[in-house]
Amino acid sequence: MTQRGALIARAAPVLACIGLLALWQVASLLLKNDSFPTAVEAIRAVPAILGDKEALINILASLRRMAVGFGVAVAVSVPLGLLMGRSRQVQAFFNPLLMVIYPVPKAALMPIIMLWLGVGDIAKTLVIFLGVSLPVIYHSFEGAKAVEEKMVWSGAAMGLSAAQRLVRIVMPAALPEILTGCRTGLVLALITMITSEMIARQSGAGNILFNALDMGQYDTVFAMIIIVGAMGICLDAAFERVRARLVRWSEPQFDMPLSFS
Amino acid sequence: MRPRILPTDVLLGTAPIALVLALWQGLVSFGFAPVTLLPPPGIVFGRLLQQLVTSTFQQEIVATLIRLFGGFLIAVVFGVGIGIAAAASPAINSVVRPIVRVLAPLPKVALYPALLLLLGFNHESKITLVAADALFPILLSTYFGASTVEQKLIWSAMAAGTPRREILFKVVLPAAMPSILTGCRIGLVISCIVVFLAEMITSTDGLGHVLVTAARTFQAVDMFVPLITISLLGLILNGLLQAVRSYLLRGFPEV
Repeated sequence: MTQRGALIARAAPVLACIGLLALWQVASLLLKNDSFPTAVEAIRAVPAILGDKEALINILASLRRMAVGFGVAVAVSVPLGLLMGRSRQVQAFFNPLLMVIYPVPKAALMPIIMLWLGVGDIAKTLVIFLGVSLPVIYHSFEGAKAVEEKMVWSGAAMGLSAAQRLVRIVMPAALPEILTGCRTGLVLALITMITSEMIARQSGAGNILFNALDMGQYDTVFAMIIIVGAMGICLDAAFERVRARLVRWSEPQFDMPLSFS
Repeated sequence: MRPRILPTDVLLGTAPIALVLALWQGLVSFGFAPVTLLPPPGIVFGRLLQQLVTSTFQQEIVATLIRLFGGFLIAVVFGVGIGIAAAASPAINSVVRPIVRVLAPLPKVALYPALLLLLGFNHESKITLVAADALFPILLSTYFGASTVEQKLIWSAMAAGTPRREILFKVVLPAAMPSILTGCRIGLVISCIVVFLAEMITSTDGLGHVLVTAARTFQAVDMFVPLITISLLGLILNGLLQAVRSYLLRGFPEV
């Protein structure tokens, strides 16, 4: 790609952001609805939230729960998914159970988990963990299944034990797929974080958002939407950076986020 | 060729589900968990069967299904349409791509308050939320499928005298079908999840509302019933989509 083309490609998402905000501005000016502030008003309310110490602590607490839930989920799900991909027995054992759990909305478990564990950090982190683990397991599984058999055999012929083969051959080979799963997991972690806090109204970004809605502070509602949206986009972009570095050797991937497939 | 399902696999597969149920029953009967917090599985499934035949519960299911299908179908139409258009035309592609890059990682649930304020508390806001969430997986896999169609196929069709717009329906769409259906499957699971969440946040009917009502009155049994129902719905819909898939993809090598 030429220098100029690269520049345009880099600027395009920013232009898209500006375009969407402009669309919002025009729509709200046309609708003249009290509960639909203009984009400018909403952006103006953002510093007020980020400047408020309590709100900032809340948002940081949300991010901490998300990071812990996401980290633990990845640490557990990747080995499980890889094992499922390599062993027919393990796959047959876990697959039906996972299929039953998949369509259950994880945040909907929140009320039940709250009954057992209370409304604190543990319950919310657990829900995030559940939400993240399924796509990561699924993608690790698919990745491990697609590893070329010959490479594993060569490893075996060179005297690697089964565990070594898993770590040194299967895991690197499945890494692009695993990271795709992690990216989906990251977006899901954010969604689960917001919904869990919305159900257990006690602290966090989701709480601020829906409290503002209940109290009719529409500027704050839309400002929080901007903040949460920016969080999603920034996390995704940061993850994409890491991913691109880790799997530079693999074939050039699509630059649209194919994270869901 | 599809690997045959061995009877031992079925046995192995039912084992963990049976184990979970046994553990659940065990936790209750050995007194680790009070019955009010964790009702035994027998009572929960009995209650589920008892509820399934009542007309009020059926109405809740119907309300949920209307929203689910409404949103899902809108997402399929727009997702496949935009995906194919973006793959076919570089001009549309350069517009769609940055917008998708910005909107896809955005947690759509956070938009729900805005949708509530704009569209009200009825079906519309929930259907829009479901559509917004299911759209991107379908759009992205359609785009992926359509842009990886082998150029030779298109050239052959053109050489055989197929008009340009017929190439779309006769070559590109069938060739992209496996990928589109994979996207639809993910979109469907997401629709199930989102419709339930939307109903939990604000609703007067639907399965999510049943759960919230039960939670407010600490009826643990009634909290499990809608959860199991949505899980079953997800499984049934997934099975239906699988049937559609094997019908549409007859003649394809291993999918």
